[in-house]
Amino acid sequence: MAITKEVFNGRLKILLKAALIVGSVIALRLINIQVLHHQNYMQLAERNRTQILYQTAPRGRVFTADGVAIASNSPSFSLYYLGNTSSGTEYLNQLVTDIAPYIKLAPQTIRTGLETSGKTGKAMALVENLSTQSTVALQELQQYYPGIYLLEEAKRSYPYGTLASHLLGYIGSMDERQWRKRDINAGYRLASKIGKNGIEQKFEEQLKGKDGGVYLEVDYRGRVKRIIQDKKWAAGSDIYLTLNFTLQQVAEEALKNSKTGRGAAVALDPRNGAVLALASAPAYDPNLFVPYSDQETTNASKQINEYNLAIQGIYPPASTFKIITAAAALEETDLDVNRKVTCTGKYDSGPRVFKCWGVHGPVNFFDGMSNSCDVYFYALAASMGPAPIERMERKFMFGRPTGIDLPGEKAGNLYGPTRRARNKTYWFVGDTLNLSIGQGELLVTPIKLAQFAAALASRGNVYRPYYVDKIVSNQTGKEQKVGQTEILQRADLKPETYDLLYKALKHTVDNGTARRVKIKGLDVYAKTGTAQNPHGADHGWFMAFAGKEGEEPSIALAVFVEFGEGGSSAAGPIARAMLEAYFGLNSNAPSAEATNAGA
Amino acid sequence: MPVLKTVQNARNRMDSILLYAMIGLVVLGALCIMSAVNSLSWSNTIVRTHLVALPLGIMAFAVGWSFNYQVYDEQWKWLYSFILMLLVGVLLFGSYQRGSRSWFVFPFFSMQPSEICRVCTILVAAAFLTRRGRYIYDTSTLLWLGLLLAPIFGLIMLQPDFSSVVVTLPAIAVLLYCAGANLFYLGLGALFAGVAGFFTIAWTYLYLHPDLTQYGLGFVLNQLAHNGWYMFGFSLLIAMLGYGAWWFFKQLRILFPFFYFVLATLVVLAGLFGGIFVENHMKPHQRKRIETFLAPNSDPQGAGYNVLQAQIAMGSGGVLGKGLFSGTQSRLGFVPEKHTDFILAVVGEELGLWGMFLVLGLYLLILWRIVVIAYMASDRYGYLVCGGIFGMFFTYMLVNFGMLLGIVPVAGIPLPFISYGGSNLVASLWALGVVQSVYSHRLRA
Repeated sequence: MAITKEVFNGRLKILLKAALIVGSVIALRLINIQVLHHQNYMQLAERNRTQILYQTAPRGRVFTADGVAIASNSPSFSLYYLGNTSSGTEYLNQLVTDIAPYIKLAPQTIRTGLETSGKTGKAMALVENLSTQSTVALQELQQYYPGIYLLEEAKRSYPYGTLASHLLGYIGSMDERQWRKRDINAGYRLASKIGKNGIEQKFEEQLKGKDGGVYLEVDYRGRVKRIIQDKKWAAGSDIYLTLNFTLQQVAEEALKNSKTGRGAAVALDPRNGAVLALASAPAYDPNLFVPYSDQETTNASKQINEYNLAIQGIYPPASTFKIITAAAALEETDLDVNRKVTCTGKYDSGPRVFKCWGVHGPVNFFDGMSNSCDVYFYALAASMGPAPIERMERKFMFGRPTGIDLPGEKAGNLYGPTRRARNKTYWFVGDTLNLSIGQGELLVTPIKLAQFAAALASRGNVYRPYYVDKIVSNQTGKEQKVGQTEILQRADLKPETYDLLYKALKHTVDNGTARRVKIKGLDVYAKTGTAQNPHGADHGWFMAFAGKEGEEPSIALAVFVEFGEGGSSAAGPIARAMLEAYFGLNSNAPSAEATNAGA
Repeated sequence: MPVLKTVQNARNRMDSILLYAMIGLVVLGALCIMSAVNSLSWSNTIVRTHLVALPLGIMAFAVGWSFNYQVYDEQWKWLYSFILMLLVGVLLFGSYQRGSRSWFVFPFFSMQPSEICRVCTILVAAAFLTRRGRYIYDTSTLLWLGLLLAPIFGLIMLQPDFSSVVVTLPAIAVLLYCAGANLFYLGLGALFAGVAGFFTIAWTYLYLHPDLTQYGLGFVLNQLAHNGWYMFGFSLLIAMLGYGAWWFFKQLRILFPFFYFVLATLVVLAGLFGGIFVENHMKPHQRKRIETFLAPNSDPQGAGYNVLQAQIAMGSGGVLGKGLFSGTQSRLGFVPEKHTDFILAVVGEELGLWGMFLVLGLYLLILWRIVVIAYMASDRYGYLVCGGIFGMFFTYMLVNFGMLLGIVPVAGIPLPFISYGGSNLVASLWALGVVQSVYSHRLRA
């Protein structure tokens, strides 16, 4: 031994050390992959081996305050075949003859489908959107043929079609960019439908449930090995609105049947600012978007009118604005309500002669209001000037949006001398007169006028209207309060001012232009308006608030009919129908004879 | 031959640590193979073959252990002839499978002679180096060894069995190193491999990023592969550098033989032309492997797929693993070659980190025992045999783990004891038997 040991002594030891170093490097890499990145690789491995046949969960339902579901879900069934290579010809023949009667496909087509699936071993949808009758039979067949699988999905449905469609919105698909932006944990698939407008969009997070699915284990070629899990879905949370179903339905029906079929009706509860009805015509049927094919959705979206007139349409308030003029005069001048002004059908302002819509003779404050006599208000405005009117406008927050939680609300336009001064143009006497009867540059939305009516009815509470009451989880049963009374501003006028205004508005219903809404058993206060439209027929306005006789007002509403010509003739019947519906009175004939009045 | 004083104490005739480590690996391997092939339709055949190979392997181990290893030293010429016979035989009578002629197929079993040849080559080379012990420092030793082994490698490349060469060459290099070969020559060999490897990898990289070839270094490199003038220029540059280095050292009065610089220059140039040869003769799937190694995620569905899926399998196993017979990646076929080249992915997935550590630890244990036994050897031949076998197992370990971890390119080499493969198992067990024989004939400590 040890012949040449000194020559190579130690070299093998160096190599052993090298092996140990290599071993530790490998160990570190192993720890890196198997411990530090374990979760990541685990996910990849799971994704490799699972194929999921998703079952869309039901979206939360939407209820009105009186418990009617205006957005709901309907089941939709699809028949899948999970390729089973072991199934012989005999089995397939039997299967085809048994299922053919229940699905609208030729036996040959079914056979081809089954065979392809059997050959490739992949899961395959044979039919989608099965009718409910056939599903019962197929469910039974499922017991005998392990290869077939009936999948239930929930489809959005809106049982009342166009009802409250502008409020509800609709659902649709996302494109890939939108999908990538979504939170990965929220469980969205590219095929998931999302709310596109209105409540569907705003409460997407709450309405969306957790999709269920059949989790299949597949091998590297996609062949189904077994069913890992049949996960049940979890439905989304239900939303309860403040809407009154009957009122909403009546309002929409009446608007549709009005003279032009275009307009809006908004009803608020003057005690808390809750929206009782918000109708806008023309409306659309959100069911059009539910057939989940892209082509149909594209066609549907071309047809619909997303324009929500109730919050986006701005028009001059016309004679309904005389309430502001009257309030300004009562509040800031020592107006003698019994002093009479003689209406000869015109008013000479100096440079120009302003006309009244009729000849009313001598009228006092109440007659001026009830007959909507322009000359009376010209005289009022001329004596006090425009500033008090503008101040009164600001008290009721004209020119500002109501702040209802809906996208796209228009603010309208405030009209008055300070606004003019800010725009560095002049203010003429004629402007004052125009302002006093609500014409000119003044613009409001229907919901703004409803808010104004509610403010009058509640003696000064300018509410931010809300329409969602609460959200109730279908999983935990937990209630979450959403909407609450919010007073944006108090219009603090002298109590006498309100008393006199109430008296005048009551007078208008009893003896004046708003006789259409005179209803037995109710205290109704109302004012009509006809907005002159230089481009076509005039627009009709009707605003009212009412309560049971002797009680405080419980509803305030504004009705607008575009190109309806007369406030009383076009909008009046709608307002009457709504009041009757709200208070549960059912009389078809108008109680007071309609006059073709209004200005 | 020196007179041997062998230990006759029966208790100590076998190194127990090496034995237990080996048994541990074999048992673990059998379990993993059963688990890996469980989902395959022909799993019974595989398990049966492995269970037949196992007793054969144990027999080979017994033979290796019970024979005095010095027999191989004495009869090395016969051994050498045996290798050549086997290799020629397989080329003549072997069956053609999967693009190579490397199998003898008999009615009841088949065998891969290159596996046995691997071990025999080490034994023969060790014997040769023992005889040349006195001249180990000479250039002639290297040349003679090269001449001796060239037919073996030539015949193997004719099959072709690339992986066999990949494992045997490093083992021979380790053998030379242990034998005390001139480090300068070993360095030259490494330089040659390094230059050739560098150019191959660099050109593959340029192939992946064609925009780099438009200007600068990338342009020059690319031209070097195809343009004779650039090759000529590069050769001149290297020659001048070599000459300059010699002149520089001469001025410093550090005298190296001029011959060394000529040799170094020639080796670098040989490396370049070797690289060019490889570049122009590389098969598409081999290029793919290098590409995958350079950019594993460039083609997750194609060439990178295998490594990626193997890593997913391993990573998803975590610390404790998914349990034998329940690895989804292997059972559902995402891991390719799961019972042979990628068996470690199955170990990682089903037994987790501890399983990998177990395999790694047992391998290191075996390597350690081989080294310890090498130093106990009663003669130089025993020492060299242990060194060569150490080199072989070290390469197996390095390539198998490295391939899975993305440290070395995919080479398609099985992991002895763990992977399925009867010939490999028998040869590896025989090799350990020879090491045990060295132990049993050690000097009295």
